[in-house]
Amino acid sequence: MNSSPIAVCEDPDVHAGPALFSGLDSGPSLAAHREQYGDVPRISLADLTAAIDRTGLRGRGGAAFPFAIKLRAAADGSRRPVVVINLSEGEPASSKDSALARTRPHLVLDGAVATARALGAHAVHVVLPGDRPLTVAAMDAAIAERHDRRMRLVRHVASPRFVAGQARAVLELMAGRPNLPVTAWTPEAVAGHRSRPTLLSNAETWAHVGRLLHTGPPAGLGTDDEPGTTLLTLRLPGARVAVREVQYGASLRSVLPAKDDAAVLLGGFHGTWTTARAARRLKVSVPGFRESGLALGAGLVLAVDDCPVAWTQRIVAYLAGQSARRCGPCLNGLPALAAAVSAIDDGTGTARVEQLAGLVERRGACAHPDGTVRLVRSLLTAYPDEIDRHGAGHCSWTRQATVVRRLRSVAS
Amino acid sequence: MKRALRVDWPACHARGVCHELLPEVVDLDEWGYPIVGGEVTPELLGLAREAVRMCPRLALRIVET
Ligand code: SF4
Ligand code: SF4
Repeated sequence: MNSSPIAVCEDPDVHAGPALFSGLDSGPSLAAHREQYGDVPRISLADLTAAIDRTGLRGRGGAAFPFAIKLRAAADGSRRPVVVINLSEGEPASSKDSALARTRPHLVLDGAVATARALGAHAVHVVLPGDRPLTVAAMDAAIAERHDRRMRLVRHVASPRFVAGQARAVLELMAGRPNLPVTAWTPEAVAGHRSRPTLLSNAETWAHVGRLLHTGPPAGLGTDDEPGTTLLTLRLPGARVAVREVQYGASLRSVLPAKDDAAVLLGGFHGTWTTARAARRLKVSVPGFRESGLALGAGLVLAVDDCPVAWTQRIVAYLAGQSARRCGPCLNGLPALAAAVSAIDDGTGTARVEQLAGLVERRGACAHPDGTVRLVRSLLTAYPDEIDRHGAGHCSWTRQATVVRRLRSVAS
Repeated sequence: MKRALRVDWPACHARGVCHELLPEVVDLDEWGYPIVGGEVTPELLGLAREAVRMCPRLALRIVET
């Protein structure tokens, strides 16, 4: 199986930030956290819902789904809800959940615990990433520091696979079944773990809930439409992986290299390519990215100084191998799509790529095919000339590599 | 209210019974898996229910959209 073209980084450079990343210097301990913020906030469901409504909080796992809708659905059920913190981020290139676990674990836990109390839940489930030992250890240490007999913290460890962190896959894991996605006939907020209403969000979302409940709405941060901040994982050529807390509305220019021939992948492996020139004009915004046909997704900003076509070929080959091989269109279509994206170098054009993209989209139990298609389509949109150049046997970045690959394919 | 067919993808094993029963709505892709297009109109509802019953993998449902 193709391994990820980018290795997981659990030890990113983390700077102080205006909200979640404030007070980093005092460390991740419960004592320091209580010193900074005080006890777990007690809040009624009505007040919690009102506070969430005022900030328009969206999930930070990738889909940017409004948290208020999930919260209401979970609260409206007739059965006792379940709360889940999902730390099993599948995007190998993203480090924000690891950064939170290692620096602000109690902010994450407070957000979930306070919400669980407001909902009348008895347990918070913490789902940890199987391929990130430092993150698991950091959360375990934080869980061990807390003693709340009325709120159990139940830990689970997800498998090291790209789709293991998908919501339904997480519910399967919690139910003791294989950690793979299954078809969702109802949203998990309506019927999730053991058919109970299940409020499942990623670590960053819970950290924002925690911060909101402790300190109130993020005054003066972000824009009117999108208050507050978001975490970005920055991977820039020649620099250490970094996680930064930025305000909505901030320009991407400040975090990107000045080189115009850099290619930029935004969001994650399920994200979108753009040129450095276009990326520098962007402001950090979920709807703003959407209007430009881009995705903020899991908050990755990857700038590379080599060829985006070759990168996409490697990433799609990896993603094809990460299919849980359960759904026919995904298990057949993604390897075929990977082959078609590779074949761009042989001058076969992109018709087959587009055909396969249409064939796999929305035809799986999870959004893995859709995310893979988003990445591929964004390459076609952002780099049409480069694709033509590859078809003619050239590459603006690594002319030689393409020639070598062609010689090799002639020889074999 | 409109109705559509939805496939439980992990369950479906591409036997194509659904396509035989309901070619108006179900096409097959190059691997034999159903491509569900369009609405299940009231006239087609009987056949759609038949397809749901006859699917050897119980992989089909009629959902309201
Ligand atoms: S769509 Fe693909 S990755 Fe998702 S469950 Fe189906 S086979 Fe697995
Ligand atoms: S009849 Fe059922 S198993 Fe066969 S292709 Fe249709 S949905 Fe899939």
